Amino acid sequence: MTGEATPPALRLVAVNLLGVVEHPELGGSPYRVDRDGRSYVPAGDGGIVLGLELGDPAFGLVADHAAPGACLVHPDPAARHALTGYACIGNQVRVRTGRAAGARGAVLGKRGEQGRVIIGLAQADLARLRPGDEVAVRACGQGLRAAGLRADVAVMNLDPALLPLLPVDLPGGADAAVTVGVRLTAPSRLAGNGIGRPAVSWDLDLQLPPPGDDGAGDLVMGDLVAVDDIDARYNMGYRRGWVTVGMVVHGASPLPGHGPGITPILTGPAGALRALPDPAGHVGLTATMLQLQ
Amino acid sequence: MKAATNAGRLVRQVLSGEVWPALADRHAYRVGPDGQPFLLPGMGGVTLGVHCCDPATGYASDHLEPGASIRHRDPGANMALQFLTCVGNQVRVAGGPAAGALGHVIGQHAYVLVDFPETAAANLASGDPVTVLACGQGLALADHPAIMVKNCDPDLLARMPGGTRPDGRLEVHVAARVPAEAIGAGAGMLSEYANTDLMGAYQGLGEDLSLGLEGLRIGDIVALDDADHRYGRGYRPGYLTIGVISTGQCMLFGHGPGPSTLLSGPSEAFWLVDDPDANLASWLHAKPEPVPVVPSQRWSA
Repeated sequence: MTGEATPPALRLVAVNLLGVVEHPELGGSPYRVDRDGRSYVPAGDGGIVLGLELGDPAFGLVADHAAPGACLVHPDPAARHALTGYACIGNQVRVRTGRAAGARGAVLGKRGEQGRVIIGLAQADLARLRPGDEVAVRACGQGLRAAGLRADVAVMNLDPALLPLLPVDLPGGADAAVTVGVRLTAPSRLAGNGIGRPAVSWDLDLQLPPPGDDGAGDLVMGDLVAVDDIDARYNMGYRRGWVTVGMVVHGASPLPGHGPGITPILTGPAGALRALPDPAGHVGLTATMLQLQ
Repeated sequence: MKAATNAGRLVRQVLSGEVWPALADRHAYRVGPDGQPFLLPGMGGVTLGVHCCDPATGYASDHLEPGASIRHRDPGANMALQFLTCVGNQVRVAGGPAAGALGHVIGQHAYVLVDFPETAAANLASGDPVTVLACGQGLALADHPAIMVKNCDPDLLARMPGGTRPDGRLEVHVAARVPAEAIGAGAGMLSEYANTDLMGAYQGLGEDLSLGLEGLRIGDIVALDDADHRYGRGYRPGYLTIGVISTGQCMLFGHGPGPSTLLSGPSEAFWLVDDPDANLASWLHAKPEPVPVVPSQRWSA
């Protein structure tokens, strides 16, 4: 398949956005119901989660949608959607208030529904963070057209400075496929919550089975994962012969239809975007790349 | 043999709601599978001219909700209305020019969806109050403990063909079977709220988008492969969910005609019979008389 002519590159702009560290929310009942009908109390679903970092397994904790760091929201719903839509993985963040004021970190991913931005900080800074603290996000990346990226492969939710650090090979030329190293490729039937929603502001949960005793089949935070037959350009949906690659941004969930979530970063026809699974050796996003230590 | 149920122990509760207006925002457009912008009616208000047994797709519409779309103004009362109302429940118009008209619930879609005769629907408008005789949550099959019943009026279950087979399985007649790849928006949500959109039914928009579901009709009973809706809607190999197509045409990508959940359990607990008459119109809603023109485009004198 021949790629279309690359449109002229437009310069990206960065915008400073304000996020507020989320406090987890529950309804009048503490219980949710898992896929086998058992009630459970969801821990780790939003807010500040300690002890979970990039590289940690997605199925390793007794938690629901736990993300490696802190979630940012905004009290105004429209501003919250803008924060979520514009923030990109790898964007720099800086804590503005509270005991962690001055700490620097980076965006690790995003979550859907009302919108959340997941940020990573050094664990010592994270431990000083408190719900309600203000965090500035230097949002940049939507609209990115990377040099060497063929026109029929769309990139989204990615800071331009992060792309060269990830296992993404942009060979250049209209006919050469973009290749991406991933942990695994999932069939589209595993796509759960997030399907039918906009990929710039919603993650896609993967209904993966729990890993075996040896950990085989598990994902780790920051992994790249491919999903076959999903087109994520305009909402995420089924399109035969397409591939979407996303980054694992939160862990497993007991809820039916949910699971480890990916924030999409690349989508295109399978002939133009090729995922290379490496179940044992894959390395996706690391704390070193983001200078989080 | 009809499946034995606990229908005699269920209560019927009188709920109220009103026809809810269609909603939009000032940006107007949404985006289709290839980025095409669209502004199309179908969700909210009263959608005319589409009833049970009519094609689900093929309309210039998005999130087509046949008939009246019902909510309650109070948020808590609305969730009670959405959760407790079941497919097949009777609905009576409680005020306005169509007062007294009777319809039936065909599903949920963050609205309760009610199919009325076209003549009654033509006189309905947003704000008209309706009364719902809600019954069905808690319905259980005595001889099929692995199967959970959801959102199903006991009278509807009694009218549906099939039942307990000699081998112990539950026989269910279905008009279509749906592969797991078709499950779109609605995955991960509660089984008692809204419905599961099916992708793969975008008529005329490309072979790569098709999963062979363009023939679905409103009211069709369908079987969803590898879907476990007992405690929410999720993918699970070896499970089966029976639903009723309650919404139709979508242009929004990742969306499509949607079944509301009726039954869910292990696949081996079911015995499916392919039956083109497996449609709500066969038991609850008379098929509309064919008409030479589209009557819904004009008010009657």
